[in-house]
Amino acid sequence: MQINLEEMGGISVFRVSGDIDINSSPDVKKSFDKAINAKKNKVVINLKDVGYVDSSGLATLVEIFKNLRSLGGKLKLTNLSGKVKGLFEITKLDKLFDILPEEKDAIASF
Amino acid sequence: MKNPIRETGRVTLKLMAHVTAILALLYSTISWSVMGPLRGKAARRQSIFEQMVFAGVQSIVIVFFISLFTGIVIAMQSAYQLKQLGALIYVAPMVSISMARELGPVFTALVVTGRVGSAITAELGTMKVSEQIEALETIALDPVRFLVVPRFWALMIMLPCLTVMADLVGILGGLIVGVFNLELNAYRYISFSFDLLTWKDVWTGLLKASAFAGVISLISCYVGLDTRGGAEGVGRATTLSVVISFILIVLVDCVLTGLFYFSNV
Amino acid sequence: MSDKAANEREVVIEVKDLVRRFGNRTVLNGINLKIYRGETFVIMGGSGCGKSTLLRHIIGNLKPTSGRVILLGEDITDRYGSELDKVRKKIGMSFQSSALFDSMTVGENVSLPLREHTRLDKSVIDIMVTMKLELVGLRGFENLLPSELSGGMKKRVGLARAIAMDPQIIFYDEPTAGLDPIVAAVVDKLIVDLSKKLQVTSVVVTHDMKSVMSIADRIAMLYEGRVLEVGTPGEITNSRNEIVQQFINGSPDGPVRFFQQKGDYLDDLTQ
Repeated sequence: MQINLEEMGGISVFRVSGDIDINSSPDVKKSFDKAINAKKNKVVINLKDVGYVDSSGLATLVEIFKNLRSLGGKLKLTNLSGKVKGLFEITKLDKLFDILPEEKDAIASF
Repeated sequence: MKNPIRETGRVTLKLMAHVTAILALLYSTISWSVMGPLRGKAARRQSIFEQMVFAGVQSIVIVFFISLFTGIVIAMQSAYQLKQLGALIYVAPMVSISMARELGPVFTALVVTGRVGSAITAELGTMKVSEQIEALETIALDPVRFLVVPRFWALMIMLPCLTVMADLVGILGGLIVGVFNLELNAYRYISFSFDLLTWKDVWTGLLKASAFAGVISLISCYVGLDTRGGAEGVGRATTLSVVISFILIVLVDCVLTGLFYFSNV
Repeated sequence: MSDKAANEREVVIEVKDLVRRFGNRTVLNGINLKIYRGETFVIMGGSGCGKSTLLRHIIGNLKPTSGRVILLGEDITDRYGSELDKVRKKIGMSFQSSALFDSMTVGENVSLPLREHTRLDKSVIDIMVTMKLELVGLRGFENLLPSELSGGMKKRVGLARAIAMDPQIIFYDEPTAGLDPIVAAVVDKLIVDLSKKLQVTSVVVTHDMKSVMSIADRIAMLYEGRVLEVGTPGEITNSRNEIVQQFINGSPDGPVRFFQQKGDYLDDLTQ
């Protein structure tokens, strides 16, 4: 699991690759805690290279969403694979997150 | 008609199997205590703390009263004898030494067996018959690490503490008799209590307390985890664990006292 | 299902020639089973036929007298302690008596495996507990103690605990035993829903025929420590085996003897 961060005009774009599961979720959480501590509150997470998200991964994303919202920020998810999108739908989390097809849509939507 | 020789053999083998299993439990308790923290799998401090509160803090009142009355009784009984020798002041060391060496540790251990050991067996026994122990194993948690280790260390820490308290309260009980009935000077009574009390009297007593803590926690956990046969089984296991603990406490006391007596340490 | 299709599917559980004796009583007598990924496999049979014992061998809580058990590609027959725990973290089990920890709240019961086995923050674990309880329909009950719940609710909390670690296989021991028909149907529906939503393999041990037919992809009929027949619900229903038929129809007359007294009645009376 790897996370790359790119700053694009005040918007932090995180590109995650690999599975987000019980082993990698704590690391995902740490990476985002850093960004949130630095008061960056416009966040895009690109899940293009994520094959699977287990329930700990989903919970971690919910936690990031909650933290950003308390800072008055926003979280957008992009490039979900069909399988990952299905996981969001089963857990009804597709209604919670702002899910967009491409990174540029997300950046434009802020 | 059962063959008596075969029966004796069968019972002996069964007994040996239990003894081996209890020693194995002691081994895995110690090894989890040592290896657990190294592997990042220490017993949770919170659960040791909870057990310490239950085993120790909540036993204070009953240990207080038992040792107070024990102190009073020894003072009266020894006064009866010492009066005839005209050595009434020796009631003080009589009480303090017998409390420290013998009665403090043993009475505290017996009280804790009845109150804490029985509760441990009942709790673990209920967990066993309601599949909770199996559930722990299935979610990859070792019952020894999760249940036995915290109870073992809680008793190892709290029983010597309770014993020290019992010793002091016993001396207080003696003091009450000494001052109000035997009309001894309180200051003199106290200094006599402690002047004749040697360091050995105290540490042998505390060593006994630690040994008793091991006996109580291992027996009550072992019998609890070995429970079979529903609610009735839990009742039987609880009685059994108290009986075995009582016998072993007195036996261990006898062995240790003999050891200290003959070895002149 | 054709044999070819079966060969292409991944085997997650394999039991080979499993024999288990307690003293001189043979409880399991040469069991062979293959369970595939994603299916709901039901082991059914009468009381005392050894089905719960078989389940405990598959999850490694009991060890066979002879034979092997391969769980998720690992031979667990001779594994104990931490070696076995590695595999156990990938499975979940729902117990007949629920086996909730009495001293812990519903939330603590569900979060226990997560707190013990992962490095996740408490805040994330709390969210996971809410998600798991939502799946079993008990969101909002986090702070109750097991003693405050009904039997059906306990079963569902046990199920939420079983799925806490996102297991690949969920085992159910008599999931509907002791529940009223409506609650039993709810639990059955939950088993089907969970295996669909989480795409897990489910292994269910039961003697509740109604439950068997509504949840099973495949069924194994166990009788006197042996597997009599394995097949889809349709195949089992149409089985020519008289014991299987007697069991499905719940009839008192047939090849299965329910009176197991020894000797002659009149002899016993007049002895």
